[in-house]
Amino acid sequence: MPAPPTDARTLRAEVVRVEPCGDDGVILVVRPEHDLAAIRASRFFMLKRDDRVSPLIPRPFSIYRQRDGLLEFLIKVMGRGTRALAESRPGQALILTGPLGNGWPTIDGGGAPWVFLAGGVGCAPFPMAIEQALAGMDGKAPARPEDITFLFGAATKGLLYDLDAYTEQGIRVLAATDDGSQGFHGNVLQLLDGLWERGELPRDVRLLACGPDPMLEAVERLAHANDLACWLSLETLMGCGVGICNGCPVDTRPDGPLGEWPNAKCCVEGPVFSTEAIALG
Amino acid sequence: MRATFCGARRVLSMANMTDLSVQLGPLSLRNPILSASGTYGHGLEMCHFTPPARIGGLVSKTVTPNPRHGNAAPRIAETEAGLLNSLGLENKGVEHYLAHTLPDMAGVDTVVFTNIGGESVDEFIAMARRLGERDEIDAFEVNLSCPNVQGGRLPFGTDPANAARVIEGIKAATTKPVFAKLSPNVSRIADMALAVEAAGADGITAVNTLLGMAVDWRTRKPGLATVQGGYSGPGVKPVALRCAWECARSVSIPVIGCGGISSAEDVLEFLVAGCTAVQLGTACFADPALPGRMVDELTRLLDDAGVARVRDLIGTVQDGTSRTCASNASDAKAQTDAEVVGRP
Ligand SMILES: Cc1cc2nc3c(=O)[nH]c(=O)nc-3n(C[C@H](O)[C@H](O)[C@H](O)COP(=O)(O)OP(=O)(O)OC[C@H]3O[C@@H](n4cnc5c(N)ncnc54)[C@H](O)[C@@H]3O)c2cc1C
Ligand SMILES: Cc1cc2nc3c(=O)[nH]c(=O)nc-3n(C[C@H](O)[C@H](O)[C@H](O)COP(=O)(O)O)c2cc1C
Ligand code: FES
Repeated sequence: MPAPPTDARTLRAEVVRVEPCGDDGVILVVRPEHDLAAIRASRFFMLKRDDRVSPLIPRPFSIYRQRDGLLEFLIKVMGRGTRALAESRPGQALILTGPLGNGWPTIDGGGAPWVFLAGGVGCAPFPMAIEQALAGMDGKAPARPEDITFLFGAATKGLLYDLDAYTEQGIRVLAATDDGSQGFHGNVLQLLDGLWERGELPRDVRLLACGPDPMLEAVERLAHANDLACWLSLETLMGCGVGICNGCPVDTRPDGPLGEWPNAKCCVEGPVFSTEAIALG
Repeated sequence: MRATFCGARRVLSMANMTDLSVQLGPLSLRNPILSASGTYGHGLEMCHFTPPARIGGLVSKTVTPNPRHGNAAPRIAETEAGLLNSLGLENKGVEHYLAHTLPDMAGVDTVVFTNIGGESVDEFIAMARRLGERDEIDAFEVNLSCPNVQGGRLPFGTDPANAARVIEGIKAATTKPVFAKLSPNVSRIADMALAVEAAGADGITAVNTLLGMAVDWRTRKPGLATVQGGYSGPGVKPVALRCAWECARSVSIPVIGCGGISSAEDVLEFLVAGCTAVQLGTACFADPALPGRMVDELTRLLDDAGVARVRDLIGTVQDGTSRTCASNASDAKAQTDAEVVGRP
């Protein structure tokens, strides 16, 4: 049975600050009980307040930033669990399990350019992806800023969380909103189509995507139709994050690299999957 | 990850002032903390969170004769005070377990229970035969009670005669100790306990999940794809405690308590109610390191209370029957019978 990563632990942590972010989000800054080694982008933690008020089951969040011994999470308030975390005060005790999951594949330079597609809070695994890609990952050639295009879509401009942070890294950043309140009026896939049609991007690109299910299903179709290398970071429901509750099944492709078993555990086999391995739509 | 690594790994535990060891029928446990079936993998996956050598035993998830792909998502739904699940006993089947899981369990420094499931008496017996020769397994736990299979019908777990047939068949097929895991979804769990004891069970696990359901009235959608499922977690603790107590006072074989246990206080409540050991399930999802941590907490709690041997607490509940451990089991049985007679 797939096991949780060997570097994952359950840690006590403390909220340092909670900063508002966008219309409905916060950045939760926490200090774990001890320093953690550098974490790969798109790995995640299970988070829960250490009190009897919060929901029983912890919630999964991507690592958003890691600096000065602190961990940052971008949290969109959805329901009970996210609200409890967002309403935390400095000093609030947390239970944190991680780092969990696999993280993005090696984002290298020199090959086909990379297009990162984010939908709403699906942007969370990208700031560190950009940083790590530009610094070089796994001993491979670092990506150059011009190798990376970041397409950030949301329903409206207030949900383009921390958009300015991306432009500082020198990569191409384009925004899209469903209501046209900022950037391109439409979704990220239409935005990508426009770049292709105008010849502003080669047809052969490598895709990383994170966002709501309908968006990821559309990205999956696009990758198959155009035979593109593509990895999706999934946000399935999770009960434990470490492989023991069986609550996070993702349908697999029978002919794919994960073999014949009809589902994979998102938490320990993902959350990042190649579109050759899974079948969303 | 190899068992040799996990099994060989030793952890400096706290200087134990308190003797935590318990005798679970034929099995000697270093402490009364076990993992619950289906909530801690097969155990070794979790060795970085809880080294097996720290706890009394590991219980595997239910292994069935054939692979089971499990139910559609959503398979879990959180409620106010617990969790609903409908996994559909997903597992790769007994042949995969024999070839890929058990070899890793060799040499693991804790008691290993393999939880077995089946859809007929013959299937249960075949499972016990197929696994019975394997040295890696110390005992069987028989899942009489998974409420998810066969559309919510409860084939073995609710009928004493059926449950007895399963246990009798398994006992005839193996020399390993056999623990019957009971369902709380019955009106008189003592009848089930007496039936499996008479059939030769070496112990009882009480209990599996309660049947439950969640629905979002706005979307009209049930929380689980299967609509109903097994309810576990803190909300079931009083029910589980009552079930375990009823079993313990009715039989003379040991009882393992299970259901909603999340603190060392909870553990001791089950012991006082008559359990010899306990299993931790849903609480491990919030803190995967809980089983090991629970041992430390238990030690601290007993040290503070000046209790030298945890086993001295077993069955000491002042429920009017003055029963300690197995000694007065026949009195308890007599009382249960009297109750049956006395009830309308
Ligand atoms: C690996 C991973 C990484 C994630 N990273 C982040 C992150 O960085 N930032 C962030 O804000 N969120 C992230 N999520 C999603 C986040 O975990 C959920 O939004 C959260 O669990 C909702 O909890 P809640 O108690 O607030 O909502 P609940 O009360 O549980 O649900 C409220 C509503 O939200 C819906 N919902 C619940 N979970 C999800 C989900 N996973 N996806 C879509 N809808 C959901 C429910 O159906 C319901 O309608 C991630 C999820 C995964 C699996
Ligand atoms: C996700 C999940 C999976 C479970 N799988 C099994 C199983 O395979 N076999 C079994 O006998 N019990 C299974 N159970 C029941 C538990 O072992 C336990 O009896 C029950 O959850 C009550 O304990 P708890 O409240 O501590 O979780 C499962 C429970 C949960 C929550
Ligand atoms: S979230 Fe529990 S198994 Fe994946």
